[in-house]
Amino acid sequence: MKSTRLIGFVLAVAAISGAVYLAGPNRPDNKIALHGPNTGGRLVALYSSEPKSFNRLVSPLGAEELIARLTHATLIRVNRVSGEIEPRLAREWSSSPDGLTWTFKLRDGVTFSDGVPFTSADVLFTFAALYDKRVASPTAAGLTVNDQPLKLRAVDERTVSITFPAVYGPGISMLDTLPILPKHKLQPALDAGTFRNAWGVTTPPADLAGLGPFVLKKYAPGERLLFERNRKFWLRDEAGRPLPYLDEIQIDIVPETNSEVLRLESRSADLISDKVRPEDLAALRKKESDGDIRLVDAGISTDPDVLWFNLAPGAPAAKTRPWLQQEALRHAISYAVNRQVIVDTVYLGAAVPIFGPITPGYGEWYLPDLPRTTYDSATARTLLGSIGLTDRDGDGMLEDASGKPARFSILTDKGHTLRERTAAVIQQQLKAVGLGVDVIGTDPPTLFSRYQQGNYDAILFYVTVDSTDPARTPEIWMSSGAFHFWNPLQKTPATAWEASIDSLMQRHATTLDGVERRRLFAEVQRLLSAHLPFLHFTAPKVTIAMSARLKGATPAVLDPPVLWNAEVLSVSGPLGGRQ
Amino acid sequence: MSGQLWTFLIRRSVGAIFFVAIVSIAALVLVRLAPGDATTELALAHADRATIEAARARFGLDRPVLAQVGEWLIGLGRLDLGQSSLYSRPVADLVLERGLRTAYLGALALFVATAIGLPLGVVTGSRPHGVAAAIVTPISIALVACPPIVGVLALLLLAATTGWLSTAPGAVLVPTLALSLPLAATLERLQSQATAETLAAPDVAAAAARGVPPARLVWIHAARQSLRPVLGVYGIVIGTLFSGSLAVETITAWPGIGRLMYDALVGRDLFLVAGCALVGAVLIALGNVIADLIRAVADPRIREQL
Repeated sequence: MKSTRLIGFVLAVAAISGAVYLAGPNRPDNKIALHGPNTGGRLVALYSSEPKSFNRLVSPLGAEELIARLTHATLIRVNRVSGEIEPRLAREWSSSPDGLTWTFKLRDGVTFSDGVPFTSADVLFTFAALYDKRVASPTAAGLTVNDQPLKLRAVDERTVSITFPAVYGPGISMLDTLPILPKHKLQPALDAGTFRNAWGVTTPPADLAGLGPFVLKKYAPGERLLFERNRKFWLRDEAGRPLPYLDEIQIDIVPETNSEVLRLESRSADLISDKVRPEDLAALRKKESDGDIRLVDAGISTDPDVLWFNLAPGAPAAKTRPWLQQEALRHAISYAVNRQVIVDTVYLGAAVPIFGPITPGYGEWYLPDLPRTTYDSATARTLLGSIGLTDRDGDGMLEDASGKPARFSILTDKGHTLRERTAAVIQQQLKAVGLGVDVIGTDPPTLFSRYQQGNYDAILFYVTVDSTDPARTPEIWMSSGAFHFWNPLQKTPATAWEASIDSLMQRHATTLDGVERRRLFAEVQRLLSAHLPFLHFTAPKVTIAMSARLKGATPAVLDPPVLWNAEVLSVSGPLGGRQ
Repeated sequence: MSGQLWTFLIRRSVGAIFFVAIVSIAALVLVRLAPGDATTELALAHADRATIEAARARFGLDRPVLAQVGEWLIGLGRLDLGQSSLYSRPVADLVLERGLRTAYLGALALFVATAIGLPLGVVTGSRPHGVAAAIVTPISIALVACPPIVGVLALLLLAATTGWLSTAPGAVLVPTLALSLPLAATLERLQSQATAETLAAPDVAAAAARGVPPARLVWIHAARQSLRPVLGVYGIVIGTLFSGSLAVETITAWPGIGRLMYDALVGRDLFLVAGCALVGAVLIALGNVIADLIRAVADPRIREQL
């Protein structure tokens, strides 16, 4: 009898609890936990530029990279958040003891979106197209080691062996940038020497084929791209459900950032193309509190603004103003610019002060104990005095030994408001220590042309990276590099410390031991900090805005911040409906 | 059509061809001489030097500017405007595709502006102290004074917050209103002034004395006379529409020639800039010819001067 009462009591409690639960407000998170992500639906993303080609090998710019991430697949993928290498078309791999030869086992049963089976021949074909001189792929340089191509061999239909010309520190992570293309579709174009023109934007979507989670369904030039689920996609989630979850992704081309933000705020889009600008944060936070959108802190940017002087021997400006190339000038500027002022006034708090090129966004490569030059105008004046810049006429501004005003120009790209404001703050703060600065805004081609000709005093600009591993950007660190900002394309290192950096980076690139690689790059950073060939002041905090209905996103600082993982994204409810 | 009109048309067409050729060649030469070239984006994407040099050769940047102009002119004879370095597509296809979109938007905006601006101008000009004038005049002045970029952003804000207008790329209403409202205001102001002056003219006063009803006097007699000076500015108006389309197309994501030209300029795409300039010049020349023809049809005195 007692047990009957007990059972009755338990059942009553369960019934009441159930009723209370069901009568309560919606618990979308719990629902997701119980039933998994929603399937179906269309995600609407905005992007600022339109594709110039559907052939990623010939056009590596933002829109093409985004399309490639949606419609193609790579052998491996570098997880944008964790930095881990993940299997994609290759299910497993192993390396020879010397670290030169890597053997990749390809997934079984994978087919292209048009139903043709994927084999090792497609991998070999993709590399053949990549290295073909007639194709002149801009991607090729990133897939060479010491300017030598990788060597490929098909062991069998499901196994590929890749041999590196030399031991390469970043290892197979470089393969993350290469989408595998269908041999059966593109071999004729490669043979005919017309591969560069193959898969242009006028190609009918039905003629394209890929291994990615989506296929292009429709392209309206200048308006939108519509992708639909690749029903042949080969990946499943942990519960065994087919991926992707979404039926469609629509990418609207909106070239103006204000328009993008307005569309996100009015709930007519799920994603904007870029990171949130500081000036939009306040309005978006309000929308977030209303439940319309979600803001995610993705970390610290990996492409901070950089100020550098023209340190090339014989630079025109240095002939009349040799002090422009003095190390003490750069140290003085580092002391004279209050980084916190830039953080507060330009970025409205959405940035952090930095003292070198490697921001916290670089993860393991970031060196938190790098020497910091905190704001100190007295030290700045002393350093400027040490190179002969003093106030000789009592007007508060400095003159050099010949009595000429200590004045230089900073070139920057016009229209990039954050950089223009940063330049204005630098100008103002340097004026406080007596240095005159003219800020010249120009369009990027003009700026770049003047950089290449060496026709400038100083430049405030940026450079984007597609990998946080410094060995993937030798053109910045090596004195022979085209992006060795202050003195590019040197035949032999101009200074002893640049020779040291060259040597350290060479070892860094050819060492597989992670601890040793971090130690070597830490030394590089300390040398850069000591000689300060370029100056960094702030790194923006990367905030990604998305609609509240978008689920499964794991935003990253590298592009594309959300759609890199498109197959696990899902939407709940219609666009424009409150969540 | 009279022989006079044919002669006029032929004369204007020949002039237009020279105008179009000069504008296009100037655009090509200026972009070629400007600092930077079409390989900037490749360089910023970390392409190696060999790839950049190959691209320069492919785009013809290793040849003298005069040789490029010559080749372009020869191609022009075959309606071949060269290859876009940015899009890897024939420029003729691109500018035709986008030029038609701009022409459609411009024509729609002109129609809306005319349909709104002229009747309102007649109303405010005939009753300058009436209620309608008190409401319309300050709005018109504000719209005329408002920079186009502010106007289009305000429209977008209205569209986004109310949901009344679509902001999707390719939706026509927002860009049409953005282009037509300032234009309607300009036409209203011009028509208003012209109507007021016409109503004070002796012939209209005489017609009033003869007992012509006031409505007929305003909408038939005065409106027709006052249209002449307004029609005279249509040529300029069409040019303004084209130049205004750049900002409007960029902000409202309308895929027209203005946006294409902006991208071409930033990307230093020589032949595409020249092609866009050519289409712009053709649209302006065509607009001017049409405006002259309308004026000639509306005013016999103009016909005699042709």
